[in-house]
Amino acid sequence: MSDQQLQNLIKMINQISDNNLHHGDESEATEVVANHIKKFWARSMKQQITDYATSDGVELNSVSRLAVKCLMK
Amino acid sequence: MLHYYDPSKTDPGKSGPNPNIDYGTPPSTSETLVSLSIDGTDIAVPEGTSVLRAATLAGINIPKLCASDNLEAFGSCRMCAVEIEGRRGYPASCTTPVSEGMAVTTQNGKLAKLRRNIMELYISDHPLDCLTCPANGNCELQDVAGAVGLREVRYGFEGENHLDAEVDDSNPYFSFDPSKCIVCSRCVRACEEVQGTFALTIDGRGFDSKVSAGQNDPFMDSECVSCGACVQACPTSTLMEKSVIDAGQPEHSVVTTCAYCGVGCSFKAEMKGDQLVRMVPYKGGDANHGHSCVKGRFAFGYATHKDRIKEPMIRDSINDPWKVVSWDEAIEFSAKKLRDTQAKYGRESIGGITSSRCTNEETYLVQKLIRTAFGNNNTDTCARVCHSPTGFGLKTTMGESAGTQTFDSVMKADTIVVIGANPTDAHPVFASLMRRRLRQGAKLIVIDPRRIDLLKTPHGTEGIHLPLRPGTNVAMVNSLAHVIVTEGLEDKAFIESRCESRQYKQWREFICEERNSPETLEAVTGVPAERVREAARAYGEAGNGAIYYGLGVTEHSQGSTMVMGIANLAMATGNIGREGVGVNPLRGQNNVQGSCDMGSFPHELPGYQHVGDPAVRAKFQDSWGVAIDDEPGLRIPNMFDAAIAGSFKAMYVQGEDIAQSDPNTQHVEAALSSLDCLIVQDIFLNETAKYAHVLLPGSTFLEKNGTFTNAERRINRVRKVMAPVAGLEDWEVTMALSNALGYPMHYNHPSEIMDEIARLTPTFTGVSYDKLDELGSIQWPCNEEHPGGTPTMHTLDFPIGKGKFAVTEYVASEEKANRKFPLLLTTGRILSQYNVGAQTRRTENSQWHNEDVLEIHPSDAELRGIREGDWLGITSRVGQTVLRARISDRMLPGVVWTTFHHPGSGANVITTDSSDWATNCPEYKVTAVQVEKVSQPSEWQRHFEQFDQRQLKLLKSEAGHTEPSDAPALK
Repeated sequence: MSDQQLQNLIKMINQISDNNLHHGDESEATEVVANHIKKFWARSMKQQITDYATSDGVELNSVSRLAVKCLMK
Repeated sequence: MLHYYDPSKTDPGKSGPNPNIDYGTPPSTSETLVSLSIDGTDIAVPEGTSVLRAATLAGINIPKLCASDNLEAFGSCRMCAVEIEGRRGYPASCTTPVSEGMAVTTQNGKLAKLRRNIMELYISDHPLDCLTCPANGNCELQDVAGAVGLREVRYGFEGENHLDAEVDDSNPYFSFDPSKCIVCSRCVRACEEVQGTFALTIDGRGFDSKVSAGQNDPFMDSECVSCGACVQACPTSTLMEKSVIDAGQPEHSVVTTCAYCGVGCSFKAEMKGDQLVRMVPYKGGDANHGHSCVKGRFAFGYATHKDRIKEPMIRDSINDPWKVVSWDEAIEFSAKKLRDTQAKYGRESIGGITSSRCTNEETYLVQKLIRTAFGNNNTDTCARVCHSPTGFGLKTTMGESAGTQTFDSVMKADTIVVIGANPTDAHPVFASLMRRRLRQGAKLIVIDPRRIDLLKTPHGTEGIHLPLRPGTNVAMVNSLAHVIVTEGLEDKAFIESRCESRQYKQWREFICEERNSPETLEAVTGVPAERVREAARAYGEAGNGAIYYGLGVTEHSQGSTMVMGIANLAMATGNIGREGVGVNPLRGQNNVQGSCDMGSFPHELPGYQHVGDPAVRAKFQDSWGVAIDDEPGLRIPNMFDAAIAGSFKAMYVQGEDIAQSDPNTQHVEAALSSLDCLIVQDIFLNETAKYAHVLLPGSTFLEKNGTFTNAERRINRVRKVMAPVAGLEDWEVTMALSNALGYPMHYNHPSEIMDEIARLTPTFTGVSYDKLDELGSIQWPCNEEHPGGTPTMHTLDFPIGKGKFAVTEYVASEEKANRKFPLLLTTGRILSQYNVGAQTRRTENSQWHNEDVLEIHPSDAELRGIREGDWLGITSRVGQTVLRARISDRMLPGVVWTTFHHPGSGANVITTDSSDWATNCPEYKVTAVQVEKVSQPSEWQRHFEQFDQRQLKLLKSEAGHTEPSDAPALK
């Protein structure tokens, strides 16, 4: 995995979160984002983002962080 | 004998009128039947039918010259005169409507004399060079002269005449020889009624009357768009295809489907042996009804261009010369490279890209190859970079990833909304139909940063143009919806019965918020609130409101949100489920709809069935005999990222040019250069192939059998008219590769592939080649519920039951203008070139557009001291390129525009990685740039030039070493 690849994944998930956050309802947005990732991201991409969330995760916005947590369940 | 003519049977199949017969005048749509007798034959026809058409329907041919059933009756040649019992004189049958009890005589001594006299006058001013005339063998004037029995011209040929009129050869595809003109004005009327351009006129009066392009301009300098409708309409050789002048009249024809845009026009490929002489749009085609554009009709020369790749080739490194090999060796080489790569880097280290230019059957096979022989879901298609948000957005809201209507439906629309699309350039044949409706008085709303040509429809109503800032679509659609809801323009009955109430309530609450009002969002979109309100009312109050959209909707960071916003608008106003309404994505390439339908996306099997669904997988596993990965694969941009990161090492690309068409070219080039093995199957050495290790010759649409699916979900047959240049059709190559990889595929004909698709895809269960031959075309879904296909979707319910409104928050793109990059670049298409231009650049179409230019507003140009034709450096956050300036006020100040039809232009060197949040569809339509005058090409362009030259040299060093093809052995 390159930095660039990870940067793109972080940008992508944060963008998904931004587009699904409505009136600050984080719990509903989290569910939508987690489902979106589950449905559309490749196995390797999911692995990379969960690895990042576990090891660092500082660049993930709050919905993205919750969504990744949800994915790891 | 009483014939009944049933007006409902307009199907081009066996039951309707014969598309090969010219009935003289257009059909009447009346349901009231009128009975009359023609030469003693009784017939009942719809009220409003002309006597000429009624006679043709009864099998009686009345001679005619100025009449044609794609044009309104004109009554100028008088050749179709008849006698009607109880009426005086000899009325023209084309302009005389039938009436109850009418008794018509079409042939008697008086009529014969009258017709002969008229013909005698025509011929007194017509060259008698029939034997050497290009129309010889296919001339209506000659046929009618024969039919009326003209034997002498008493007036002689010495009087005043037009025989010395000069030929206009300016158009590369057809010549205009006015000496042969009979001034029937069919060409003028075709330009007006069929094409809607009004470029031709009859200049002068009486004997001086002559056909003129523009104001006596040569055709090329006039407003003519070279659609060829005039050429097709001409009953003599006045307007004639140069290809026919060169080759002579064709001797057989095959009905097939155009391989250019998503309109999917049907054509008769008119042949001489295996030489294509001309393409004539087929009247029986339900997408185009006998009309075409300059690309489909004329730009077919690329198929026999010298640049065609005719033999398989391989090389170990992209710096090596190509080595011509047998098919067998190329396939073995490819299979070994793919297997070695997987052995070294893992199962997921390889993938492929299906083609939106190839057939459904070929696309299906490539994704099947990837899911079976490759053992992963790393398949994607160029729809990723154009209409993937359509798939996502429409599936989420209405349950099906496709447009809702037929093209013909626009003829019942009262208000037509066009968002981010430029139909006169990108979907010209459908634009002609739209313009016909606009001339009938339908309202037009255009939401686009540019003033598109549709707004200049001659004799159309004045349109409402909302020239919004690039990137603010969602703000615009929200403000339109705000007006609809707050001004009480909703269709409450539709919403209540057809839509989920929870989502609707949530959406309604959101959309009513003041922050979504046009007054608040005016600051974002740049469009005055009152104009937005006016447009919303025009759509909301229309009996039938229809929305058409293109890549100006999808290619944004909020492309998917915008598609959902459009669906919201249509559902809120009840504009779904009947003719004249709907949500209609205008698809860019011939088979973009089909490539999506066929399971090209990494998360979906054919028919949009998710790979994560165990029941779906079980069905496919059962048929394909292997386990299917339950996780989605990589999408194109993810493949590029993984390639650069070193985990993705080999790729099979069929019929796509990702190096030219995808954004951020330097990133794409870095990714392609990182691959250990790139297999490209294409008809030319395209930009992607310059990075390839294996080059497999592709076949054009003329060289294979299959089907394309157009933007209205219409499955049309593609029929082979000539042999593939390298011996194999594209599906045969994929099959050979699969067999070499150890996954057996055995099909004898694409019809067998379609049978397999029908077994596995719920929306295709009723589709077969037999049914396609019988019906002409089929709009999916075609299954037990809809055996004849589905022209209009969602008539009673949605595939997901009830429609789902989606909350569409506006989130501004991260790609913003600032002091360093003060302008917004947006990209688009022009009429004469197609996509990456690989086909059209190799035809005379380049005479219209031989380079990409940058359109810039006069005020932005003035600020920078830029004049027309200056070299401009365009710099974005990712790269720089140089193009010539064209000063244009079609965009607002602050917006610049270009195309990407020429690879050396490097338009995509400046577009960025910014993409749609849901689908990664690139944001081609918004790139912040700076523009300044420069004196030399950009660094990228200089590098491109060198690389291009080197790769062409590496190709040529092996050209000419032709061995006999081993293609038959592989079949």
